[in-house]
Amino acid sequence: MAEGPEWARLTDQEVVLLARGGREAAYRELVRRYERPVFALLYRMVRDRELAEDLAQETFVKALNAIDSYRPEFKFSSWIFKIANNAAIDHLRRRELDTLSLDGSPHAETPEAMQATALQIGARQESPLDAVEAKELGGAIEAAIGRLRPEYRSCILLRHVEGRAYEEIAEILDLPLGTVKTYIHRARNELRVALAHLKE
Amino acid sequence: MTAGFGPHLTPDEFDAWLAAGLDSDRARHLEICLECQARADAERALDEQLAALQLLSPAPDFADRVMRHVAVPRPVTIPSMQPARRRFLATRRSVAFAASIAVLLVASMATSVIWTLGHQATLVSIGGWLLTQTGQAGWLAIQGVASNLIEQPWYGAFRSAFDSPGRIAAASALAAAAYLAGIYVLRRLLALPTQQVAHAGA
Repeated sequence: MAEGPEWARLTDQEVVLLARGGREAAYRELVRRYERPVFALLYRMVRDRELAEDLAQETFVKALNAIDSYRPEFKFSSWIFKIANNAAIDHLRRRELDTLSLDGSPHAETPEAMQATALQIGARQESPLDAVEAKELGGAIEAAIGRLRPEYRSCILLRHVEGRAYEEIAEILDLPLGTVKTYIHRARNELRVALAHLKE
Repeated sequence: MTAGFGPHLTPDEFDAWLAAGLDSDRARHLEICLECQARADAERALDEQLAALQLLSPAPDFADRVMRHVAVPRPVTIPSMQPARRRFLATRRSVAFAASIAVLLVASMATSVIWTLGHQATLVSIGGWLLTQTGQAGWLAIQGVASNLIEQPWYGAFRSAFDSPGRIAAASALAAAAYLAGIYVLRRLLALPTQQVAHAGA
């Protein structure tokens, strides 16, 4: 059976078949193949290493525990990126809800509770860990990508970092092909504007 | 806005240019249009910056962390005869038991074959008797049905319809006519519908 170096010759679909047959090595092979791109996508989406690892772990656990529901007529990469992107978007939406109100939580019933839950502008200090992450994700291009809208960010990362075709991105993000092209075009415009000062 | 050859390049065309797939007409426009050249340079610079983004990897123990939360199904195996064979041959007693079953099976089959060869006449006579009995039972059943028919009140009238050769001929002709009429009606009912097709110039 497929052991060691033979894994490299197997397609994703073949590895999935072995995983369904109960081969733990096949599960590890799928993780090995996609841990880097999935983690990179999530890290650039949420810009927090620890959180990105948690979301990547959540992505793989969800995908591998539901490996029987994977349909081999689609690319495994599309499936895993779709789960990862949904995890990132869900997190960003939750975070947006948590930080939306400057006046405190919408559920706070008293002025004291509102004050206690109010957003403290400027209170956040950059920790040493933040500094490491900022350096790791450093550079003007990373900063510019970080400022894009999440849906633009997903598109530009899948297209230009992971090298996915427009059609696959449309499949991953459940968007029409035209919308994907528009998002990438707009994202590139925003990045060009953001990076224009570097040329001067 | 146009410059020289046709309108400025579209985003899709810049995409094609970056992939070295821009058609020659549009490439000629790009050669002479300063505005499109500036945009193309910016697009290429952006592509280079995106391509140079750092590769990122999770912690080295990431796969182990994932696998701790994954339920790997039990491997699917084809049931083997090996355990049963091992069980049968485990002790002298089980070997003796298996051997006695095998001997019993072979002995009963051999006895059956030998008896059949030695009693062929008996088997033939039993077969003949069964055949005769079946024939007699069939004949009795036909006679029973016939006697039942004769006892019916309408049988007399029905029988009188066949008293003379003329009546038999008339009844036969009537039956044949009813049969042919039935065939004709069935054919009409089962015939495929035909459609009138209009022809040009008709």
